[in-house]
Amino acid sequence: MPDQQPSDDALLSSLAARDLGALAALYDRYGRLAYSLAYRILGDSEGAEDVVQDAFLSAWRGAPGYRRERGNPRAWLLSIVHHRAVDILRRKTTFRPAPLEVAELQPGDEDTALAAEKNVEGRTVRAALEALPQAQRRTIELAYFGGYTHVELSELMGVPLGTVKGRMRIGLQKMRRALERSR
Amino acid sequence: MNDHVLDDLEAYALGALDQADAQRIATHLATCGTCRAEAAALAEVVGTLPDAVTPREPRAALRERVLGAAHADLKPATAGARRRWSPGPIRASRIAFAGLAAAVLVLAAVDVDAYRRLSRTTAERNEYSAIVESLRQGARLWYMTGKDDFAGSGGTLFDPRANGKQPFVLFHDLPPIPQDKVLTIWLVSPDSTWARAATFRPNGQDIQSVQIAAEVAGFDRCAVTLDDSPWGRHGPIVMESRIAPPATTQ
Repeated sequence: MPDQQPSDDALLSSLAARDLGALAALYDRYGRLAYSLAYRILGDSEGAEDVVQDAFLSAWRGAPGYRRERGNPRAWLLSIVHHRAVDILRRKTTFRPAPLEVAELQPGDEDTALAAEKNVEGRTVRAALEALPQAQRRTIELAYFGGYTHVELSELMGVPLGTVKGRMRIGLQKMRRALERSR
Repeated sequence: MNDHVLDDLEAYALGALDQADAQRIATHLATCGTCRAEAAALAEVVGTLPDAVTPREPRAALRERVLGAAHADLKPATAGARRRWSPGPIRASRIAFAGLAAAVLVLAAVDVDAYRRLSRTTAERNEYSAIVESLRQGARLWYMTGKDDFAGSGGTLFDPRANGKQPFVLFHDLPPIPQDKVLTIWLVSPDSTWARAATFRPNGQDIQSVQIAAEVAGFDRCAVTLDDSPWGRHGPIVMESRIAPPATTQ
């Protein structure tokens, strides 16, 4: 008996029609990933749960205004999670750049390699990240998971802002090519 | 003229810009297809980064919290009369305080004299009626405090949450603005996309109501800017407020 799962786009359309079942299905599909991301950024299970609830509620309310050009539903949802978590992190820490050694000790780092073994997507992305020169990888990880702005990273890493931007640009370009090759 | 923002798109995609810069980029993306296409491609790459994170299982109760919050959010829209709100991730006591503070601010802003003046003309009575009706039907409201040259003024965003009723902003004590300027009401989404909700000029009255052509749902901030024109980049923010889910009564 074939069990056809609705696409993400179909779920979002149902969400816009105020279908709680679609929200439950979306949570079942991405709740764990959303929580994992929030926890990775905040290192705090209670805060991560708040972020996830807030993000799904935002998706629930914002679904009628969702536009595909903002990204696919998964990317859109995770961008909300990321945005909320980083916002909390910045407010919580008043966000003064810490010494680099401290900044690198973000929660979950010690386990990150294990994630690569758990699923194909994780393995591919991790491989693409690890293939980057360390400075580019560190810049991308501190920006995305550490919540640092590029200006703060410039100060933190002791390099000009243009260098930070360059590392981000080249690093993401390389990742894009690596991910395209893996498809 | 189109000043592309390609230099900052990687930082934008990674969420590595401060709020002002992120807003600047979002505003530009709204009107520039070249940068928007590049931003979308970068967002796709950045969107894979969560896959590299260690999977962690949230508590089972979180699922119920999410669905419960959405269900509570659904009730006023379907029942049309019940004022029962999702607590969201904010602590209940803070929400209760925020709700109370908002109500006090509204009452303080729309003072007794203003209400008397408001009742003098039919048009003003209609505005008053709209507010009362909105509140009666369980409208949500948020107060924006004017700053800088707009200190002493303010605006309350009303979301009537009733079928066929549009959200509107009730401003008080708006100062005059230069002839070549306009005011714009914006709704800002969690991903920092700015949606233009209305453009207007102060009418010189103590109180001015402005309808907005957008649903409030899905946005988490509202702001008013002083702009050179009804299109293009926005100018300085003269008042703003977070749009938070109001308190639940439990």
